[in-house]
Amino acid sequence: MNVTLFFEQLVNGLSLGSLYALIAVGYTVVYGIIQLINFAHGEIFMVGAFGAYTVWMVVGSPTALSWPMALFVLLPAMILGGVVLSVGTALATERFAYRPLRGAPRLAPLISAIGISVFLQEFVRLFYRKLPGAPDSKRAIPFPRIEGITGHSLQVGAVAIKLSSVFTVVALAVCTAFLWYYINKTKTGRAMVATSQDPDTARLMGIDVDAVIMRAFAVGAGLAAVAGVAHGLYIGNIDFKMGFMAGLKAFTAAVLGGIGNINGAVVGGLVLGIVESFAAQLGNSAWKDVWAFVILILVLVFRPQGILGAKVADRA
Amino acid sequence: MSAPVFASGATKPGGERGVLLEARDVTMRFGGLTAVKQVSLQVHDGEIVGLIGPNGAGKTTFFNCLTGLYKPTSGQVTLRGDVLPPKPRDVVKAGVARTFQNIRLFHNMTAMENVMVGTYCRTKANVIDAIFRLPRHRREEKASTARAGELLAFVGLADKANTLSRNLPYGDQRRLEIARALATDPSLLLLDEPTAGMNPNETRDAEDLIFRIRDLGLAILVIEHDMRFIFNLCDRVLCLVQGEVLIDGTGDEVQNDPRVIEAYLGSPQAEAGD
Amino acid sequence: MTEKLLARAGAVRVAGVVAAALGLVTVLLPWAYGKTALDNMTYFFGPSFLQLCYAILLLVALVALAAKWFRGRLGRFAKAVAWADTAKAAGLGAAGYALACLVAIAVQNGGLVMIEPGGWAAFGLALVTGGAALVLPGSAKPTLGKLKSPPWVQILAIAAAMAVVLFAAAYELNRADIEDFLVFGCFAVAVVVVGRAAGLFGWLSLAAANNRRVLSLAAFAVAFAFPFTQNGSDANMSVANQVLIFAATAMGLNIVVGLVGLLDMGYIAFLGAGAFTAAVLSKSAFATLSVDLPFPVTVLISGVVASLLGLLIGTPTLRVSGDYLAIVTLAFGEIFRITMNNLDGVDGPNITNGSNGVPAIPNLDFFGFNLGQVHHFLGVDLGRQSNYYWLLLVVIAVVIVVFSNLAHSRIGRGWVAIREDELAAEAMGVNTFALKLLAFAGGAFLAGMAGSVKAYRDTAVSPDQFVFLESAFLLAAVVLGGMGTIGGVLIGATLLKLLPEKLRFFEDYRLLLFGALMVLMMRFRPEGIVADERRQLEFHDADEELAEEVEEDLVSHHSLLNPETDRGAVA
Repeated sequence: MNVTLFFEQLVNGLSLGSLYALIAVGYTVVYGIIQLINFAHGEIFMVGAFGAYTVWMVVGSPTALSWPMALFVLLPAMILGGVVLSVGTALATERFAYRPLRGAPRLAPLISAIGISVFLQEFVRLFYRKLPGAPDSKRAIPFPRIEGITGHSLQVGAVAIKLSSVFTVVALAVCTAFLWYYINKTKTGRAMVATSQDPDTARLMGIDVDAVIMRAFAVGAGLAAVAGVAHGLYIGNIDFKMGFMAGLKAFTAAVLGGIGNINGAVVGGLVLGIVESFAAQLGNSAWKDVWAFVILILVLVFRPQGILGAKVADRA
Repeated sequence: MSAPVFASGATKPGGERGVLLEARDVTMRFGGLTAVKQVSLQVHDGEIVGLIGPNGAGKTTFFNCLTGLYKPTSGQVTLRGDVLPPKPRDVVKAGVARTFQNIRLFHNMTAMENVMVGTYCRTKANVIDAIFRLPRHRREEKASTARAGELLAFVGLADKANTLSRNLPYGDQRRLEIARALATDPSLLLLDEPTAGMNPNETRDAEDLIFRIRDLGLAILVIEHDMRFIFNLCDRVLCLVQGEVLIDGTGDEVQNDPRVIEAYLGSPQAEAGD
Repeated sequence: MTEKLLARAGAVRVAGVVAAALGLVTVLLPWAYGKTALDNMTYFFGPSFLQLCYAILLLVALVALAAKWFRGRLGRFAKAVAWADTAKAAGLGAAGYALACLVAIAVQNGGLVMIEPGGWAAFGLALVTGGAALVLPGSAKPTLGKLKSPPWVQILAIAAAMAVVLFAAAYELNRADIEDFLVFGCFAVAVVVVGRAAGLFGWLSLAAANNRRVLSLAAFAVAFAFPFTQNGSDANMSVANQVLIFAATAMGLNIVVGLVGLLDMGYIAFLGAGAFTAAVLSKSAFATLSVDLPFPVTVLISGVVASLLGLLIGTPTLRVSGDYLAIVTLAFGEIFRITMNNLDGVDGPNITNGSNGVPAIPNLDFFGFNLGQVHHFLGVDLGRQSNYYWLLLVVIAVVIVVFSNLAHSRIGRGWVAIREDELAAEAMGVNTFALKLLAFAGGAFLAGMAGSVKAYRDTAVSPDQFVFLESAFLLAAVVLGGMGTIGGVLIGATLLKLLPEKLRFFEDYRLLLFGALMVLMMRFRPEGIVADERRQLEFHDADEELAEEVEEDLVSHHSLLNPETDRGAVA
């Protein structure tokens, strides 16, 4: 592998990893607080992408905006739309599917999550089929071009870096910074940390645990929605099934970094992305999805606390 | 296998009491915390030994070291001279059974089924036996059922065999846990606070039950906070304080030792259970 | 208002009885104008079958309302039945059923105008009957379930119940129109509700518990006879075969989820492993290993390959318990599919022909009896699907016996103990890891066996048959039916395969409803349709009343059962 190819794969890996990391944060935040694997989180990511797409459709499917307009008006609006839809969906699932099951045996929320997952996929598929002017949702839908990002690349030496890659990595950086600020510098963020460490004591201290849990779902969903937009820009299309594989891999990333640990989710995501892109380059790309799962199993068996250490490793 | 229910571990009456269980310098560290420090203990055949100590003295931790739930940081536990295997289930098979401080029954199984789980390690029917209902399966099922019935009668739960264990009153649950432990056919029974939460009547019944178990030839090691119970019951008492053996002697010796009283006075909530 | 009516309970009762009697007369009138609606309800004095169904419900309501006046021996018996509740259920059931008929007539013949006055009267009178029963005071819990009866009565009742089930299933499956299907479905549901209200089911389940062997033989006989009701048609038999394959696989999963309490979300891989093994070993021109083995050997090899896969998956992952296991098994399911796709000679050695899979698997042939041919027997043509149906019936019988015998053994007790409290089980000498591994391998073996027959029945195997959604369906069959139960899983599998097949009009919304159903089920009835007594408690941990009830049942069943009965022998 020559140096150019190496750097190209590194950039690919970083972008892919940023996507995984953004989604993985959602798994980890929720897990850290209520020890629930929100199996439907992949679908929240998918809903975010479709939310952004819907905003674009609602404003009239503009295709020829100038780049400042596209970059500074359309794109933020799309991200906002995605975030609103994702957060709304996540809060609804929390409220109606997970909260009633909090005292139930472990199997119950997991099975419920499968139901939510299938429901959301089908809902999006059917909804977009009924939406006038929407493309056939059975196939992958081309994501709108954002002038100023789509199709442009940055030339660094011999390595061409797509601007959508840059966008993805920057999105991760911005979101992580926001998350860091939120958790460490705000009152609600600290309440979240307190709840994750000891929910009973937190409740006694006057923290509204239900509200904290909802915030955890909301934060995770917001980041997943950003990931959804980034995915659309980076990959170029979206489809109603995209949440399944992405969710699984992001979960792998969360476990790899140490589930319950937010920094771990970011590190885990990046590591997984890089490993995957190099494995695809070096090995046979037909097997590329297998590698993530092999990593997942190896980590769970040999280092269940992950790279940075999980909050709770024992899940008996 | 049905006739003598308690065969193993019994000494001949009047015979010399051999050392059954011996713990030598058992130490258990969790990170920087030393929960159990160089504790040595001998339990002889047919003996009832009490383990007392204020809260956090490391009694339950020591129990866990004896039963394979924890692997001691250093030290050794032997049963009749053989080092105890590291896994809880192998310890049970070797002949050490236990109950839990917080009752851990199989709550949605009947009393009978709970006890029958105890016979698991003494039965051998495999998948093939079970699927084809071969003689070994049928023989063992019959024997296990009979055995479990005897044990339930022994602890006084004969009429509650088909009651779900979660529906049993607290005292009955404790007794059921003892029956389940006895079903593993132990030579040593470890009881972790068998009278916690019981009223005086129930405590007396428990005392009686423990004596009857001893009369069957089992040795018993019991953790308790109820001093009257302990001193009525035990041939020997070991007092742990902050993970270390403070004194190991007869009931009278321990009862009159000023250090024991001091240790407890230093911890006024000692009766509250830890 | 209610007090006033209560004061006039006698008058209300009479009104209800009269309405019911008049309602019975309406079946002698035509309900519809067009002959094509339902099963031709256009005759005077010639009630159609579906009209008679209405009459049955209403007759029950009539008798139940009049029961208050029974004296003597009949009166004593009457106390065992919850007559008031029965009358309510039957009256309202008849009304609901009549409404379903009217709707179906309107839909099929184009408008409400196509309903004759007789139809309207039937609905109205049933409504009056049900309403009368509704305002009358309710009854105490039925004691019919505790009634002792001679064994021959019990056996006869089981046989009768089975015959009714066979007839109903055959009738229902042969409805070509969706409206007929749904209308008869309504009737079946109404009958079940009435039976429950009357305490009849309590009694039947006791009879069943007392005569497990008879019950299982009767059930098997009914299942065996089913193809004869299809008169050579392969359409329904094909659905039945899908149900059986699905149920056999789900039963394997039931060991893992229902008994041991481990969540496996990639279970379809085991069915796939069995199917691919059988396909690759078959005499198909596309099979890569094509060894000419007797079929029973192939079945065993398929089972063994699947259980080896189970061991491979279980050994590393069963140490990570809890939620992780679900995700890891899901990942393994995906690895299986991807691997089968890649063993195509390009990305790996050629074993499965990649995404093309192995097509053109020849039919099985037992000593000259070719399962692919139509055979003529007892005046009935029995097609290819019927032949495979009987083969699958043997498979499912084996699977059920294995499941039941394992569940009622020391191994089964160990499994349940693990589910209840793994640490306590280990501390009581149960080898938890080995038992969990055994559950994985054993369940996989059953699924693998089912897979091998599936390969021959489908005549083709390809990787895209084994996607995650199929695993979710399997899980749903176990969960909807009732974890840890045999009957529940059979019902769950039947519903999940049969409804999509019959209700094609909502095909598009099938998965949407499926997802919503899973969520609702977990929320409102997590123990499934047929609840395992223990499971029910686990999911309703705080419900002490239920615990008492279950216990009461257990005790009464136990004391009524012959203690020498080997209750696990055949379930």
